[in-house]
Amino acid sequence: MEELILELKEQIIEVLNLEELTPEDIDPKAPLFGAGGLGLDSIDALELIVLLEKRYGIRLASAAEGKSIFTSVENIAQYVSQNRKK
Amino acid sequence: MAAIIADNIMSPLGSSSGANYQAVKAGKTALRLHNHEFNLPFPFTAALFSEEQKEEFTINGLTLFESLAVTSIRKALESCQIPMDNRTCLVISSTKQNISLLNIEGNPPENVLYPGHSAERIAQNVGITTTPIIVCNACISGVSALILGNRLIEMQEYDYVIVCGIDLQSPFIISGFHSLKALSETPCRPFDLERTGLNLGEAAATVILGKGNLTDKWHIAGAAIRNDAYHVSSPAPKADGCLMALEAVMKEQDACKLSVINAHGTATLYNDQMEARGICRAGLSNIPVNALKGYYGHTMGAAGILETLITLHAAEDNTIVGTKGYEELGVSGNLNIVRNNTTTAKKDFVKLISGFGGCNAAVLLTPCAPLGRENGQEIEAQHQVTITPQSVQIDNKMIDTGQLRGKALLTYLYKTYIQDYPKFYKMDALARLGFIATELLIRKERGAKGEEQGARGKRAVIFFGQSSSINADKEFLASIADPENFFPSPASFVYTLPNIVNGEVAIRNDFHGETSFYILPRKDDDIMRMVTQATMLDNYHKSIITGWLDYKSEEDYCAELRVYNVITK
Repeated sequence: MEELILELKEQIIEVLNLEELTPEDIDPKAPLFGAGGLGLDSIDALELIVLLEKRYGIRLASAAEGKSIFTSVENIAQYVSQNRKK
Repeated sequence: MAAIIADNIMSPLGSSSGANYQAVKAGKTALRLHNHEFNLPFPFTAALFSEEQKEEFTINGLTLFESLAVTSIRKALESCQIPMDNRTCLVISSTKQNISLLNIEGNPPENVLYPGHSAERIAQNVGITTTPIIVCNACISGVSALILGNRLIEMQEYDYVIVCGIDLQSPFIISGFHSLKALSETPCRPFDLERTGLNLGEAAATVILGKGNLTDKWHIAGAAIRNDAYHVSSPAPKADGCLMALEAVMKEQDACKLSVINAHGTATLYNDQMEARGICRAGLSNIPVNALKGYYGHTMGAAGILETLITLHAAEDNTIVGTKGYEELGVSGNLNIVRNNTTTAKKDFVKLISGFGGCNAAVLLTPCAPLGRENGQEIEAQHQVTITPQSVQIDNKMIDTGQLRGKALLTYLYKTYIQDYPKFYKMDALARLGFIATELLIRKERGAKGEEQGARGKRAVIFFGQSSSINADKEFLASIADPENFFPSPASFVYTLPNIVNGEVAIRNDFHGETSFYILPRKDDDIMRMVTQATMLDNYHKSIITGWLDYKSEEDYCAELRVYNVITK
């Protein structure tokens, strides 16, 4: 799981252009959206949906479905490990 | 004052305004389910021209986009005689022009791809000799173009302005909206409880505006463009920009005279809710509201003109067209959505529209001749910033750039002078360039004496460019070019509209004034000055940031922006 969490952090930094961050800066339990987290927005959520499909073969039908998954990096890792198709 | 002296609509529903209005009145829709169209790996519902229709309007030597525009303009010209001299101008409204020609292997030559050159070919084919202007303001482009045309006549720059709104669909656009999860697989349902998204459409719509207060013609009696300053692709939840635009056009209008507000009504969850909020906040919830996307889908650059024309022809027929797809109210507020065609004795109406980049526009149309307006405003240059890959100048003074060039130069400027806005890294190159240039301008302004406190919200941001969003277009295309690796990027797609940079600047600075992006065949100081002056006819703005903003590549970009204060005479 630790390996997957690191991989996800690196992927998130790359696809969301978080150029000033390193994986160490992201707390795996911290919220990704809203105040107190990485401050991601709705387009970032859509980009994360693309990341899940491209990298792990997981297809989400709607942005609303992503909302419950993209709460923290740890939560995404959990979901990916249970649902990944590649 | 300008009057509408002729018009045309070319859509899958017909080749004249009359045929289109009759089709809509009869409840016909151009929306169809398409499987495997454009080789896309998903089905979609859209209003597309048939192959036979395309063949009919194709003109040798022109692209399909240009052919459709020329055909629509020629048809509009059939019913009026106007001189094709230096007093007649062409304004094109389009979001993606010839984008279907862009390919990943070998790009077509600039003279095919750049919107300004395409507009010149359209102008030449209909006999127009003056330089055309392209309005590229996302979904509000059509209404923006009508507003510009009206202002240019009001300023007596031209006697006639031909305004043509046009967009055709392509895998580029459809996969982009698909990646934003904005498309409904079934026919769209504006303002309905069950609405799930929008459908895309193709059309061209032309309005010929002529000078003079003509008692038997329609006029634009009120016009405003305002920015939410909230988000580049999500409308403001409290409908700030929409409300401001509505309030501006209703300032001197008796609401009792309004027959209908023709809304944007895309049938996405957020747009329709936002418009409902804006209409209610403006105190207009008792006015009938309709939307036409159930007949045509979202025709993008054509939408503002096409929907204005259908509403206008309906008003002449004492009718408010029903909102196809609407059954049960699915937005907050006690909105009066017109479900079926109804009769009305009133004529005046408001066309409302909003788009990416946070822009909102409203126009008030009336068949009566409105009073002329006094424009007692002039602009006074304050500061200037110029950025090229080689150098940076503020008020003609070179600043040290640490020997950096190209893209690295912009990052260096951000890290040296700004630092506190990490969203910078998410922007595409054009937005980065515009953002940095305006930041440097505003820093200079803050350092100078005489800044008018509290008026910065009333600031317009008007940019001009040549290559539109070409750099972002290529980046997005790379995400869909390989069918085996087809993952359209929503973040890249959003930036394939050049006016997103205006939105970024508005958000950063809380500017709520007009935000517009115009494309010209080449840099032309006279046209830029004229269009900037036209913006002042709004009589709202206290200041304006404007100038040339173009990003072709890392080696070829230019921002030459100025901030002006508006002086009331």
